[in-house]
Amino acid sequence: MLLEVEGLDVRYGRTHAVRAVSLSVGQDEVVTVLGANGAGKTSLLRALQGMVPAAGGQIRFDGVDITRMSPPQRLQRHLALVPEGRQIIISLSVHENLLMGAYCRHDAGVSRDVDGIYDRFPNLAARRDMPASVLSGGEQQMLAISRALLAKPRLMMLDEPSLGLSPLLVERLFGLLGSLRDEGLAILLVEQNTQMALEVASRGLVMELGNVVLEGSADALRHNDRLAAAYLGHAAPAAGPVSPPATPPSSNGRA
Amino acid sequence: MSDAAALGRPKPVIGKGVLIGLACAAAIGLAMLLGGRVITQQIISGLMLGSIYMTVAVAFTLTIGVLNFLNFTIPTLFMLTGMVAWGLLARGYLAGFGGAAWFVALMAGIAVAILASLVVERFTFRYLKTRHGDATEHAIPLVSSLGFLLIFEHLVLIALGSEAQRFPVPFKADIYFGGLVIGLPQLASLALALGIVAGLTYVLKRTRMGRALRTIAESPDTASLLGVEVARIVPIVFILTGLLSGVAAALFTVNYGDVSPFMGDHIGTKAIAAMVLGGLGSVWGAVAGGLIVGLAETLSIHFLGGDSVQMVVWGMLLLVIILRPQGLFGASSIGKGKM
Ligand SMILES: Nc1ncnc2c1ncn2[C@@H]1O[C@H](COP(=O)(O)OP(=O)(O)OP(=O)(O)O)[C@@H](O)[C@H]1O
Ligand SMILES: [Mg+2]
Repeated sequence: MLLEVEGLDVRYGRTHAVRAVSLSVGQDEVVTVLGANGAGKTSLLRALQGMVPAAGGQIRFDGVDITRMSPPQRLQRHLALVPEGRQIIISLSVHENLLMGAYCRHDAGVSRDVDGIYDRFPNLAARRDMPASVLSGGEQQMLAISRALLAKPRLMMLDEPSLGLSPLLVERLFGLLGSLRDEGLAILLVEQNTQMALEVASRGLVMELGNVVLEGSADALRHNDRLAAAYLGHAAPAAGPVSPPATPPSSNGRA
Repeated sequence: MSDAAALGRPKPVIGKGVLIGLACAAAIGLAMLLGGRVITQQIISGLMLGSIYMTVAVAFTLTIGVLNFLNFTIPTLFMLTGMVAWGLLARGYLAGFGGAAWFVALMAGIAVAILASLVVERFTFRYLKTRHGDATEHAIPLVSSLGFLLIFEHLVLIALGSEAQRFPVPFKADIYFGGLVIGLPQLASLALALGIVAGLTYVLKRTRMGRALRTIAESPDTASLLGVEVARIVPIVFILTGLLSGVAAALFTVNYGDVSPFMGDHIGTKAIAAMVLGGLGSVWGAVAGGLIVGLAETLSIHFLGGDSVQMVVWGMLLLVIILRPQGLFGASSIGKGKM
């Protein structure tokens, strides 16, 4: 397994946001983490990148224990995060944002790879020298993903990339994730758009109040009655926190 | 590039630096035509004085722009350079350098300012940041930098006394040009100060480190996510702060020949006024603000007498804040708002 997480805890003072979460992501696999608002999904990804310290547990990436490494060190090891809310640097130009994506690299291939991004996203090429603040939401998400890709990740983590995008753009975004998967990139995808996420992923986990309450293949989750009742019926992500049925932490097909 | 124009955001034809240069030249030209030799001489002196304010203002604006930190130790760094240089000369430590002793003394003074600035980083900014999370949201670094100001000032008072001292300027080289007297050190100051600022702008705008600094300015969190070791870059800002304050003090010392343990206080307040006038966090704003404050000072002394300086400078500042709260070059180049 490329990423192996065992018993990860995240605490903010007295808030216990992630409770003994274990998960793994294989070499060219897409795994999705689902859950309502406040379930601890963002905290999980931020702890995996090192943006918040792990209060307990272990994170291994490519066989190496990275639990105590800084975010830049993890990036050097080719683990990248596309953060919640995209976090584009709006006072930098589009091109400078892309160059910041490659900040961790020292090889000669950067400009070729940036050109590759422009070929893939003509909208970004057209706005190359404009401040990133002029980009639309969809373009910003493309920029955020491109920026992460320029770090040459082996595993890319994305935190609710579809949030705030129109249905057409969501369609395109998941198309992109599918082709990145086919190109051999491993992806850990946090989403509230359960249906789309389970289409692109091979496995999924459901979090609730910091715990993993459900886990299984994408197929099994798609046909899981309780998940369907909790999320799939309410596909609109803006509908606020839905409360999934109370489930004891250790039920239902945990690996 | 041509796309940018097509999409409705024309690239600026003239850079801010060129604009400021042209404005200075125009002021001198106009004064020569209309005001005669005396006024022209005042304007030239004002620009020279302004180049010192400007260098200190850039130091202030850099820490504000990148770290959102009003570094109150800057006036002390300025003073340290002058007093250390004088102390080294007066105690005869540099006798071995002969005619170059004054130069070695000033270089040593600049080095001390840089070291002191790193001490401030180590014991206020970094310490507090690791202890209390995002220190930029607190007033603590500001207050503790005030503490360092007083500590350094009193260390100097104990070691070197409270008197103002004469710094032996080794040369008097003036250029006479069309009946105007231009001090060679003054001219060199202006050129050096502008050169440093232009270099700094280049670094911020065009280099990998500059992009990292601008990213930190907007979001330290995202910078770290993109692989920037924020804790390793922040000291660079403090090194630059020490360098700018030290160079400004060296220029001041050579031009005016006076040093004192309180020399930084006057320069510091003027430089803060200059920074606010130009727009917080904007390097070229600090340049314009510094030159304007220098001009306002010499011209108000000439026309209204020495007591009017503070009234004119701060009155002008308040007026600008009322009319244009973001300052002259308010849309800053190195990030503002966030932090
Ligand atoms: N910096 C923080 N300090 C204190 N508590 C926090 C912090 N960040 C998150 N929390 C708390 O931790 C819990 C999990 O939050 P988290 O943001 O990880 O959830 P999430 O699943 O990403 O939610 P969403 O779907 O709304 O993005 C919440 O109760 C939240 O209030
Ligand atoms: Mg979240």
